[in-house]
Amino acid sequence: MTPVKDAIIKIAQPQVEVEGLNLFYGDSQALHNVSLGFPAKQVTALIGPSGCGKSTLIRCINRMNDLIDHIRMEGIIRIDNENILDAKVDVIELRRRVGMVFQKWNPFPKSIYENVIYGLRIAGVRDRNLLDETVEKSLRRAALWDEVKDRLHRSAMGLSGGQMQRLCIARAIAVSPEIILMDEPCSALDPLSTTRIEELIIELKGDYTIIIVTHNMQQAARISDLTAYMYMGGLVEYGPTKQLFTNPVKKETEDYITGRFG
Amino acid sequence: MIRRYWREGEPYVWASGLALSLVLLLTALLLYVVIANGIAVFWPRPLALAALGDQPAIMGEIMQREPNPATGQERLQFKIGNRDLYGLDFRWQNAGEIQTLTFPPEAYVLERMEYGNFYGFLRGFALNEPAAPGLTLKTALQSIKGDRHQRAALQKEINRQNKQVEKLQHKLAQLEYQGQGQAARALELRRAKAALETEFRQTVDRLDQVAGRLRDQKAIFVDAAGTEKAIILDEIVRYYQPNTMSMLAKTGHYLVKLHELLFAEPRESNTEGGLFPAIFGTIMLVFLMSILSFPLGVLGGIYLREYARQGVLVRMVRIAVNNLAGIPSIVYGIFGLGFFVYGIGGWVDQLFFPERLPTPTFGTGGILWASLTLGLLTVPVVIVATEEALGAIPPGIREGSQALAATKFQTLVKLLLPMASPGILTGFILAMARAAGEVAPLMITGVVKLAPALPLDTSFPFLHLDRKFMHLGFHIYDIGFQSPNVEAAKPMVYVTTLLLILIVLIMTSTAIALRNRMRKRYAIVDV
Amino acid sequence: MPRHLQREIENIKKKLLTMGAVAEERVSQATRSVVERDAELAQQIMKGDYEIDQMEVDIEEECLKILALHQPVAIDLRFIIAVLKINSDLERVGDLAVNIAERSAYLATSNETICMPFDFQGMATKVQQMLSASIDALVNLDTKQAHRVRAMDDKVDAMNRQMYELVKNRMPDNPEEVNCMLHSLSIGRHLERIADHATNIAEDVVYLVEAQIVRHTPESFDS
Repeated sequence: MTPVKDAIIKIAQPQVEVEGLNLFYGDSQALHNVSLGFPAKQVTALIGPSGCGKSTLIRCINRMNDLIDHIRMEGIIRIDNENILDAKVDVIELRRRVGMVFQKWNPFPKSIYENVIYGLRIAGVRDRNLLDETVEKSLRRAALWDEVKDRLHRSAMGLSGGQMQRLCIARAIAVSPEIILMDEPCSALDPLSTTRIEELIIELKGDYTIIIVTHNMQQAARISDLTAYMYMGGLVEYGPTKQLFTNPVKKETEDYITGRFG
Repeated sequence: MIRRYWREGEPYVWASGLALSLVLLLTALLLYVVIANGIAVFWPRPLALAALGDQPAIMGEIMQREPNPATGQERLQFKIGNRDLYGLDFRWQNAGEIQTLTFPPEAYVLERMEYGNFYGFLRGFALNEPAAPGLTLKTALQSIKGDRHQRAALQKEINRQNKQVEKLQHKLAQLEYQGQGQAARALELRRAKAALETEFRQTVDRLDQVAGRLRDQKAIFVDAAGTEKAIILDEIVRYYQPNTMSMLAKTGHYLVKLHELLFAEPRESNTEGGLFPAIFGTIMLVFLMSILSFPLGVLGGIYLREYARQGVLVRMVRIAVNNLAGIPSIVYGIFGLGFFVYGIGGWVDQLFFPERLPTPTFGTGGILWASLTLGLLTVPVVIVATEEALGAIPPGIREGSQALAATKFQTLVKLLLPMASPGILTGFILAMARAAGEVAPLMITGVVKLAPALPLDTSFPFLHLDRKFMHLGFHIYDIGFQSPNVEAAKPMVYVTTLLLILIVLIMTSTAIALRNRMRKRYAIVDV
Repeated sequence: MPRHLQREIENIKKKLLTMGAVAEERVSQATRSVVERDAELAQQIMKGDYEIDQMEVDIEEECLKILALHQPVAIDLRFIIAVLKINSDLERVGDLAVNIAERSAYLATSNETICMPFDFQGMATKVQQMLSASIDALVNLDTKQAHRVRAMDDKVDAMNRQMYELVKNRMPDNPEEVNCMLHSLSIGRHLERIADHATNIAEDVVYLVEAQIVRHTPESFDS
């Protein structure tokens, strides 16, 4: 393997491209001039110590940071060559293309069926057949169908933690997004559920672009194609996962992943 | 050992248990008193005839027994009725002075339109035509039915004609106000009015005739002491002979009285008869108040919690709303009087009913202003409940919904409001319960002792928001403290109280059941 | 947690260096036993082989433990891999020293004249130098030193080839020296093998430091 010399590699045709992103919470700066490209249909992991800005970064990609007061962003984020930070962008449309799975699962207090098709209902889809089909497809994709197919119309609140998180993933893919953002999806799960979800992510890889934030370096090592290491709001290194974990370019990266700091 | 007792908080557990028991006990006591006194009111009591030796005998229902505070000996309270004969309803009689106490089977209880009950024996009749031998009270009353119906029909006719005249009068006044008092239309109206008035007079004459006939049909009764009294048959509302009634008959009588209570109009300055107008007024008041305060409260709560930019202004509004909930209700009444009745009401009168001035239409108390005032009273409660309910929803739900491309409005309608509905309904229940019981603000914004008509009837425009109305709470106050004959009114007070409690109970139970169903549907497991 | 790992890594390093020192010592002793025809020394060497074997097992177990428990990455991972390989090389060096001692034992007891058809001492010195240099390179993570070791291997190979030529030429004329020649050839071959292992160690050091596997052609990276 020819090792890459640059600390931050350039992606040829990234689906999501972040350029010079600066983010301010009031007076304090949370992201410093972050630039990187996320390739299509692959898994990119963001690692780094707490507070390094990785969650903040991915929340910019689907403009979830808009919901927080006193946030100011400078810079560009392009998805398929369109700057989504522009004021004229239809944020609702954006969020249909960019789905999100949260750290703490948040199923709605409705039936499993209603949970999965929530996004579709919001978009105005009424066709019962289409809805039924989507439910089955999404639950199968999320490796949950066999477990819940007999109780689709019972409350989603009766599921276990791992099942709820898979339900949230099914819910996210039901609206057929192009990009799925995952903010520490397994951090509250037991190892078996975590393994299941990691396998799921690897399966989803070919059809969706996945950007995952994780505290667990082994997880990043296991499932991602590219890994980015962030520290204190800045991007330190970004490269192929294999290389970053066997021979990182920057000493800071090596210190972090070997546990000599952080 | 004692130390451990205190450390584990045992004494406080006992104290709180005790406090709760006390509260429950007091509530149970209240309910017991009301029920015990109220339930038995309509059950026909036996009539006792007490021979008192040289004094004239008395007959009546035995209400109470107690030791005479002066002599220590037992004395009985007789309800002797016959207010027109004796001037008072009740009389204490020392048990020692009673020679014999019998329960004559042929004794009658007559419920009358005026002067309350009559207790006595039937001697004969004084009718327009000579009485057939063997005429019973029952048959006699049946014979006047025809006239009664005719009178009722004529009364209706008179009412109708009256209303028509009123309408014409209103139109005329309008025209006059507009300076068209001499126009062709006005003359036409005057002619029509004159014709109607003639008709009206004719009907009144006919009514007088029938009324006169009815007045002449009398039955002769004697009381326990032998005094004769001619009672107009028409005045008799109901009669029964309690000493001969079987259990079935008594139950039937009870049910009949119950029916009268719920569906008939009051008599004898509210101390007898039914409560129907009061019940109707109370329910309609609560209904109108709900329509006014619920949407306003919920929308206000939603705005404060979801849409308003959280800053100093919003915090001040919130403080103001919270304080509003604690203001004494009479203050709301005064505000309602000044702002709604005189302020807006006066303005409405000026704009829409200037021809009727100085007689106010909306510029005086009415069900609309009373509902608005109570609505104001309850809006803060609903706002606070809505805010709290919305605030209790974990933020993860909102984020999850918006990440799925839902707008704030869609999230609100599809997720947040259903989830908050148990809390909102709870607040609404509290509001309703409070409002159903408030009397002070109503007294000055539209409640009256006796309302001539219901706010909802069959004449256009069907809903008369400017009318005054009756209210159960006020009714209790009125009967208990404003009636000329307090003793006689006591049973009615209990019955009305019982009814009011029942109505509030039914309303709140329905709302609670609804809330429980919502709660089950939208329960959130600890997320 | 990293400090615990650090301690373990230091521990392994010490053990490996100790093993390296022991291997060096064995080779030096074996050489001496050949030159001085000291059968007793040779016996000692043969008996003492278990020591190095024990150390090899010990170090391997430690490495497995670290891999399982700490899941090291980057330089730590490369270090463990290098240790495992060097561990194996050093154990082989120990075995080869024993092999030399066996030859030396025979030669010492035989009454034949010494027939060292080649510069045994020279070769032995070079080999010992290589071994010592490779272990130094490991200690100091010195890739220049490691590359020098690799260069020296060529020379030792040449010396070995030379020896073959010499024996080939001499054997037909001196048939009574055949036995001795054969043993000498053997010893020479063992020395050459020790040099190879020293080269391996040097290459492992380069891998450890530069993350380059210099033994094989570099694979192309696909991104």
